[in-house]
Amino acid sequence: MARSSTNTAVEAVGLVKRYGDREALAGIDLAVPRGACFGLLGPNGAGKSTTVGVLTTLITPTAGSATLLGHDVVRERAAVRRNLGVVFQESALDPELTAREQLVLHARLFHLESPAARAADWIDRLGLGEHADRPVRALSGGLRRRVEIARGLLNRPGVLFLDEPTTGLDVAARARIWEELRALRRGGDTTIFLTTHSMEEADALCDEVAIVDAGRIVAAGSPEALKAELGGDVVTLVLERPELAAEALAAQTGVRSVVLEAADGPDKAGALRVTVSDGTRRLAGLLDCAREAGVVEVDLRRPTLEHVFLHHTGHAFEDAP
Amino acid sequence: MTGGLSDLGVLTGRELRRYARDRAYWVGQIVFPLAFVAFVGFGLNDVIRLPSGTSYVGHLATGLLAMLVGSGAVGGGFSLIEDRSSGFLRALLVAPVSRAHLVLAKLCARVLVSLVLVAGLGVLLASFTPVRIRDPFAALFSVTAITSIFVALGVALAARLRRLESFRLVAALVTVPFYLFSGIFYPVSTLPAPTRWIAQCNPLTYGVDLLRYALLGVNELPLLRSYALLAVLTVLSVFVAVWSFDRGTRG
Repeated sequence: MARSSTNTAVEAVGLVKRYGDREALAGIDLAVPRGACFGLLGPNGAGKSTTVGVLTTLITPTAGSATLLGHDVVRERAAVRRNLGVVFQESALDPELTAREQLVLHARLFHLESPAARAADWIDRLGLGEHADRPVRALSGGLRRRVEIARGLLNRPGVLFLDEPTTGLDVAARARIWEELRALRRGGDTTIFLTTHSMEEADALCDEVAIVDAGRIVAAGSPEALKAELGGDVVTLVLERPELAAEALAAQTGVRSVVLEAADGPDKAGALRVTVSDGTRRLAGLLDCAREAGVVEVDLRRPTLEHVFLHHTGHAFEDAP
Repeated sequence: MTGGLSDLGVLTGRELRRYARDRAYWVGQIVFPLAFVAFVGFGLNDVIRLPSGTSYVGHLATGLLAMLVGSGAVGGGFSLIEDRSSGFLRALLVAPVSRAHLVLAKLCARVLVSLVLVAGLGVLLASFTPVRIRDPFAALFSVTAITSIFVALGVALAARLRRLESFRLVAALVTVPFYLFSGIFYPVSTLPAPTRWIAQCNPLTYGVDLLRYALLGVNELPLLRSYALLAVLTVLSVFVAVWSFDRGTRG
């Protein structure tokens, strides 16, 4: 068995999970560096939750192996569980207990010192103060998710799993959860492993992502690197006399291609589509270069993870089987 | 080991807290048997003559207590399905707690609730029936045994049934024969031969008889045999409960 290196928090090799004829995981390979915020990105039904299930010891894989901080997720379940924090996609709180009671209960199960003080501390940190002594069934979705995050962090886990942490939340609640996750990243060495079907979320929070489709990883790397693989940003320049600037633009550093798009409208203005790496930094240079051709309009589009997904799977995110 | 015991204590505390908060549950559990004994027991008291010479109302009251303990214990499985559907079970399954402790906590909490119910109802029934706590050890033993056997049954069903509705239905179908052939309503010795044989294969028969001995001072079956059988079945039940739960939670 491949022992994971000390710099790897989570490692999976060839994970397969079959339910009868259905293959939920078709050979997942992952390596998540310690301290990273890692995002497993994919459409619904791609195998994200099954992967989290295996890594958190809830699901036994049909084949393959995985380790969490060096502990095998099948053979060393107790050690894995001691190092875990999990925030499930669907609520996993006892509706009859208060937020405080849930936290104290979990602190006790992890044999932490002074459970009540530990719970009070997290209630404070996640701004749950006035809601802490109400039964969970009376709390809003956003508050519940915060209680779950507090519970996930209570034992200072080596790895915190968040399965679709903001699904079903309104915009304000989502912003709040993002803020908390960013604060968590600044504050400690906990590795964050989140799954999401929101490209925006992965882009906003993660420094490493793996794109999963139909139980397989189709691409992995930093969001920037994955997007850069597509050839860079697209700057569209609408110019009065586009033919004057085309050649000079193509000679600029970082420019991969310049395409003249058909002139439209009576003013004979035309658009040049310039594919350039690191477009935000080079935009000023491009504009200088095109000044003589008369700049009418400028548009900078950065490729999104959506484009990356399309590029690697051949189908759009929403059209996933 | 101390860690394990403390886990068991923490989890049992959570179960008890849930029971304590469910006021409707306690009202139902107290009002139903009292009303049943008052209306049915006294109505039949002069009609039915028992071979042992005790009053029918005492016989029915003790039988109903055993039934209450049994049906409440099957609810241990019900609470497992509730934990699964609220999602809380998953949070417990990824915590560093053994599966056995999760089940044993449900069992311990249920035994304590059963004992509180039998003690409380025993005191209330004593005011208008011949029920008294005459042998506390036999009472403790029989209540613990009946609870364990029915918790195991409930957990075994819950491990296979995912929906609350199907659990309720199947649990009722499975448990009613236990109640009918156990001497809860009529003494086993008065039953016709085939029914009597079924009753003698029913573990609840021995639990009911021992509880009746504890609360009325009369028994139909040899005490030693009841103690021995119930002890073996209790230990077996604990294993069945832990095993069923473990199987039911494997992904």
